[in-house]
Amino acid sequence: MMNGNRFLAHTAIATICIATMASSLIAGELNILTWEGYADPSVIEPFEAATGCKVSATYVGSNDDFAPKLAAGGGVFDVVTPSIDTTYSLIEAGFVQPIDISRIVVWGDLYKQFTSAPGIQKDGKFYGVPYAWGAIPFMYRPDKFATPPTSIAALWDPALKGRVSLWDDKSALYVAARLNGDMNIYSLSDEQLAAAQAKLVEQRPNVRKYWATAGELVDLYKSDEVWISNTWGGYQSGLLASEGIEVVEFIPEEGAEGWMDSNMIVTGTPNEECAYKFLNMASGALGQSGVFKVNGYSSTNPIAAKEFMTPEEFSALHQDDPEYLDSLLLWENLGDRLQAYTNAWNAVKSQ
Amino acid sequence: MSVPLSLRLKRAVVLSPPLLWTLVFMFIPYTILFVYSFWIQKYPTFEPAFQFGNYVQLATDPQYLRVILRTIKIAFFVSLGAALIAYPYAYFLAFKVKRPGVRLALYMAVVAPLWVSYLLRAYTWKTILGTTGILNSFLMSIGLLSEPSSVFLYNQTAMIVTLIYVFIPFMVMPIYAVLEKIPKSLKEASSDLGVGRLQTFFLVTLPLSIPGIVAGFTMTFCLTFGDFIAPFLVGGPDGLMIANVIASQFGASLNWPLGSALALVMLVIVLTIISISDRFERFGQGKFA
Repeated sequence: MMNGNRFLAHTAIATICIATMASSLIAGELNILTWEGYADPSVIEPFEAATGCKVSATYVGSNDDFAPKLAAGGGVFDVVTPSIDTTYSLIEAGFVQPIDISRIVVWGDLYKQFTSAPGIQKDGKFYGVPYAWGAIPFMYRPDKFATPPTSIAALWDPALKGRVSLWDDKSALYVAARLNGDMNIYSLSDEQLAAAQAKLVEQRPNVRKYWATAGELVDLYKSDEVWISNTWGGYQSGLLASEGIEVVEFIPEEGAEGWMDSNMIVTGTPNEECAYKFLNMASGALGQSGVFKVNGYSSTNPIAAKEFMTPEEFSALHQDDPEYLDSLLLWENLGDRLQAYTNAWNAVKSQ
Repeated sequence: MSVPLSLRLKRAVVLSPPLLWTLVFMFIPYTILFVYSFWIQKYPTFEPAFQFGNYVQLATDPQYLRVILRTIKIAFFVSLGAALIAYPYAYFLAFKVKRPGVRLALYMAVVAPLWVSYLLRAYTWKTILGTTGILNSFLMSIGLLSEPSSVFLYNQTAMIVTLIYVFIPFMVMPIYAVLEKIPKSLKEASSDLGVGRLQTFFLVTLPLSIPGIVAGFTMTFCLTFGDFIAPFLVGGPDGLMIANVIASQFGASLNWPLGSALALVMLVIVLTIISISDRFERFGQGKFA
């Protein structure tokens, strides 16, 4: 009888496994782990119709979500879209596979600054296709500030008690370090990290809430909880504008971080064909106009961008201004210092 | 001892699912956690090792003790608050409500919210406690506040309120179950002997209901202790709890070894609490029942 039970259980489990495997094989399903806005129906629906590859998206709130999800295994995801500070760790951990750039038709159209970025290559092989880029500026409610803020110091202004939000991410340390005058934000020494940590602890009375997702920051502004914060340049301000709430973005005197997101293919994906089709679409005209219209981010493909941006938009997003990109502190991989940064950030929140 | 084969087979059939469950979902995962806790983080992930560095780090870096103490504090206040609200309610249900239909309806009123997603219920408190929320609008409309206050949301009090609301069914149920079983004759005997109602409550009813309070307290305490949603939704910059730190070790810092060590410390704390509450319960029963 026990054997009978076991047999039944095994059969049931096997049936479920086979059924789910089969469905994902037949449909050409593509599971992508990406950012809010990057899998907008306006892009995904035409792509699905054209290729027959069904796309399911899961969203991350931070770059720190990619490696753990891939480390947990299970072969769930086929394509990931990490930022340039995370790409190299994924390559080193073996989570992503080399990309045959001869199969990426738009490769030559993309900004050389991005395709040659050290973060997406190893041993002469490429692992990522540049997709979108932008800055991490700050933003504020203009109706709450008599004089527009120009410095990060505004987020420490005692007058703004309980009105400030910062991204719940190690990047909070980058902000505090710059305020301390430490511009080497990706290679902070233990002393500099401790100083940044102390600065963030000092800021705590001002912090209403550390925001974890794009939607949460929008809610914080909408419900009148927060007046000033950092932001994913272009995205939340756009969402707020469509809600009728005016916010102004600014790059502070202390500079802003820059980011660039690339699409990468997860090692051993069974859906490689669909993955390549997706990468081509994402960095081509359809994907690039999608990320511009939905997220308001700058394009990594200036040739495609010229087609869907007006000349004004083209220059507003700094597509014709390589020096702007150089002025940003482009995110870097922290390597074995990541743990020190994460610990410092946790320590701030444990106070 | 010879047991007939058919009986042994029956026993095996009855016992094997729970045993299998315990093995697969309790024993194996905890063993894996235990092994992981001696591994070591090494960029870009972590690798097998046998060393006590993770435990040393937990003991020496003050942030972990701070968060553990904060979590215990919050769990204690949630359990206390839930008990103070749940006891009168359960008492009212068990002794004051005479009609079974009304009693059932009131009981279901406590249990029914469990059918709604926890996330949704916690999220609701944001709309109640927020600066532009229902509570602020109400206080302003009755003239208690002249402008919206931000003190209700994004702090530890908001977390405690939310968690009391979310976990209160786990306090009401065991207390009600115990109160309901107290024979009426005991209270009658007490009043026959000339003891007042208040004294009867403190000398008869309350002592007899201690096992229910302890059970409810233990459950709400342990549930709160492992919670990581409330800090995320209604907690402020000082809202981090121990489960959030574990999540960030398994997530952001990709330090599963340290996260495992922390999870085991948490497990030990919870087991300690359960065994203490077990003592309490037995103490209550031995003395009063």
